[in-house]
Amino acid sequence: MGKISRRRFVEATSAGIAVATVPLKGQQKQGEAAAPDAPAGAGVPRTQIQFTLNGAQRTIQVEDRWTLAELLRDHLGLTGTKIGCDRGECGACTVLIGGKSVYSCSQLAVWIDGKHVTTVEGLAQNGKLDPLQQAFIEHDGPQCGFCTSGQLMSAKALLLHNPHPTKGEVRAGMTGNICRCSNYNHYVEAVLAAAHAPAGSASGGGNA
Amino acid sequence: MSALNTVGRATPRIDARERVTGGATYTADIVVPGMLYARVLRSPHPHARIRKIDVSKAQALPGVKAILTHENCEIIWASGDTRNKRYLFNNPVRFAGDAVAAVAAVNRHIAEEACRLIDVDYETLPFVLEPEEALKDGAPEIQPGGNLSPDNQGRHEPQRERRGDVEAGFKAADHIFEARYETPHINNAQLELRASMAMWEGDKLIVHASTQGIANCRTDIAKDLKMPPEKVEVICHYMGGGFGNKNQNHDFDLMAAELSRRAGAPVRVEFTRKEDFVSVHGRWPTVQYYKVGVKNDGTLTAIQLRGYSGMGPYRKGAGDISGIEVYQCPNVEKTSYMVYTNKAVSANFRAPAYPQGVFGIESLMDDIATSLKMDPLEFRLKNYTRKFRDQIAYTSNGLEECLRKGSEKFGWKQRWRPPNSDPGPIKRGVGMGMGMFGSGLGRSNAIIRVDSKGIYHVHVGVTDCGTAAKTTMALIAAEALEVPLEKIDLIWGDTDTCPYSVGESGSRTTVQTGTAVVEAAKDIKKQIAEKGMPKGDEVWRADAAPNPQLPRDRARYSFTAHFAEVEVDTETGHIRVTKFVAAHDSGRIVNPLTAESQVKGGATTGIGMALHEQLLYDKRSGLPLTAGYYHARIMTHMDAPEVEVVWAEIEDPYGPYGAKTLGEPTIIPAVAAVANAFFNATGRRITQLPFTRDKVLEVLA
Repeated sequence: MGKISRRRFVEATSAGIAVATVPLKGQQKQGEAAAPDAPAGAGVPRTQIQFTLNGAQRTIQVEDRWTLAELLRDHLGLTGTKIGCDRGECGACTVLIGGKSVYSCSQLAVWIDGKHVTTVEGLAQNGKLDPLQQAFIEHDGPQCGFCTSGQLMSAKALLLHNPHPTKGEVRAGMTGNICRCSNYNHYVEAVLAAAHAPAGSASGGGNA
Repeated sequence: MSALNTVGRATPRIDARERVTGGATYTADIVVPGMLYARVLRSPHPHARIRKIDVSKAQALPGVKAILTHENCEIIWASGDTRNKRYLFNNPVRFAGDAVAAVAAVNRHIAEEACRLIDVDYETLPFVLEPEEALKDGAPEIQPGGNLSPDNQGRHEPQRERRGDVEAGFKAADHIFEARYETPHINNAQLELRASMAMWEGDKLIVHASTQGIANCRTDIAKDLKMPPEKVEVICHYMGGGFGNKNQNHDFDLMAAELSRRAGAPVRVEFTRKEDFVSVHGRWPTVQYYKVGVKNDGTLTAIQLRGYSGMGPYRKGAGDISGIEVYQCPNVEKTSYMVYTNKAVSANFRAPAYPQGVFGIESLMDDIATSLKMDPLEFRLKNYTRKFRDQIAYTSNGLEECLRKGSEKFGWKQRWRPPNSDPGPIKRGVGMGMGMFGSGLGRSNAIIRVDSKGIYHVHVGVTDCGTAAKTTMALIAAEALEVPLEKIDLIWGDTDTCPYSVGESGSRTTVQTGTAVVEAAKDIKKQIAEKGMPKGDEVWRADAAPNPQLPRDRARYSFTAHFAEVEVDTETGHIRVTKFVAAHDSGRIVNPLTAESQVKGGATTGIGMALHEQLLYDKRSGLPLTAGYYHARIMTHMDAPEVEVVWAEIEDPYGPYGAKTLGEPTIIPAVAAVANAFFNATGRRITQLPFTRDKVLEVLA
């Protein structure tokens, strides 16, 4: 931290952030950015940060108290990252920062200034699923699906650093991600399948 | 069993892509313009009277839009207590976590701050945590009329079940065995953090709930708010697990609706994880006293159970203790005391009454087999249930097949040795357990509409809490309509677009809603045969609302047997499950891929129940100490063994294509199998769940 300029946050409190929500019957989702209306946030320190999100440069004013998970979900509309505990126990909010898996509920948004962040929405490239996503489908990884984004991001981080892990390494690498449906066997099988499949064979358009 | 076209083939979920891309929208992902955030203030005391509550400082905080307390909100949450009036906010508060106030504000930080600014003057009252203590003279009275929760007729009496003559049975026995078992409160701990979002369009209420049953949730909300059901719409398209604690409406659905009405804006109520652990509900803790009579050859002559279930201060759940019916025995007596305590509320959690009861009876039966020098497998093959309560024939019974195929896959004959055969220091042992779970028939609905493009729109009121119910319904529809799966368009999760469905509790969806889909498909096929396919804008529609019932002389159950091998480190007290086989008779398996997920998951959750989980209370303060994933020691990747699944090949004469219930049976015998494997490894019996290291080292000392 230490980058909070007093003048900047005083200015920011009056500026606020544009609100753009898209109302859709039944399946309403948040749009690009939203901020509490005045007087919410009055007197709350803010900081401008710049970071790379799923390959795109972003500049945004954040409240210093926002967690990264909060920034992604409430203010950038990326709700694929889930919050299961908001206290660093369950792993549902796992994202990559610079290729390492982190709990986004336990990172302040201001800390990602200058960093590269990848979320579950950034896994598929041009509509083509990541081999991990495809393997998760084929091996029936998700049951309720709430932990799935986090499982995927931990698996992604693991394979970035260890492309051909053993079963034990997969379990150790993903043990910070709780699945209460307890579908651990299938998640591990899926990661091993994605890691050990010949290039390209486990990727593709997906089923659904 | 004859092969079918679609049913019975391993098929990825029809919504799998949404689930792996972040595209699945759960309740807390939904945002509408102007939406407020609400938080709940909860009691820090296990039992206290509120003398005074002052919300003026909270009210004055900029951004606060509405505050509810017991003083200004008298809504009764009927499904929160089936015996007494339970308000959204109660005075006195009866457990640490009872709701005291709810605040809606323009963002969650302000809502949280406002909760901190509410001054509550509590007069603390004496409290009691354990059911047997709560029944003693002079125990603090938690509800009017005493701490023994009344039965359906309002009588403060235990629930009794009698068959045959247990006294005669004990007289006829060569040996009598008695034992006491204890199981703790544990939380469902579904991963989705609890949320509910409500908004009003004129006099119509729309609730985005996280529920296992949109139809029941709507009926309950309408009843509690005294509205006609058609003025309430409940929507739940994706749901992050519930395991029984999202069956009905919830108090926070009503809080969201009421806050929204008062604030004139949509409101989302959010919980913290700690709140989720203490203030909704978990599995009821039990104390079980058994007395069993047995002949020298292992024939059972009498089973007697006296059980106590701690229900928390509100009677939300049934509280029964089940499991003895898995044994055939002519003389049975069960007396169950459902007791109010000042712990967190207890109600349904995956196979509500079974895993804890089966842990008890299967531990004792294992001891009996050992005393009689019988192989536990042979003892069970001799004594497993042939008729329901020795009286009613089953529609199908694959329990013996589960025992034989499961034990073969496990290698029971090679692995089993008499207890404590391994010299250690790491001792290996094997154990098993049996289970059963009702798979009744009953009402549910489905609508199928076919258009001129040949797409079949199947409307079913399921939410798919992770069971793959949507995919199961689509597979059944494709089979019944004799069309490829791609021709099925499933419409789900919204009471305005879907008919009644039974609700994803009691593992009933495949059987009941599946039957409705088959009936609707038959109707639409008949229409097509008569009129041909629709042309242009034409749509043919079929509504089905079957309510099939079993003949009086038949019982319909799913069956299971689990086998576990454990290693016990006698120096550290650590237990590791090294092999696990789960055998299941759930009739015809509609989708083996997702069914395997259910079995592996259920068994693993049961292993966690055996070894790890407990909502521990501080006896002096009455406060919960382990409310969260970390302290509840929920199973992780590193804990989870590989679970091998064995299917009994049974086709039941009832249900869609002979399918029976699956979701809940999967957890039932896992706890007992692990407990018995520990006994086999060490020759020592632990009678209290969970098998933590302190208990292991104590019995080994």
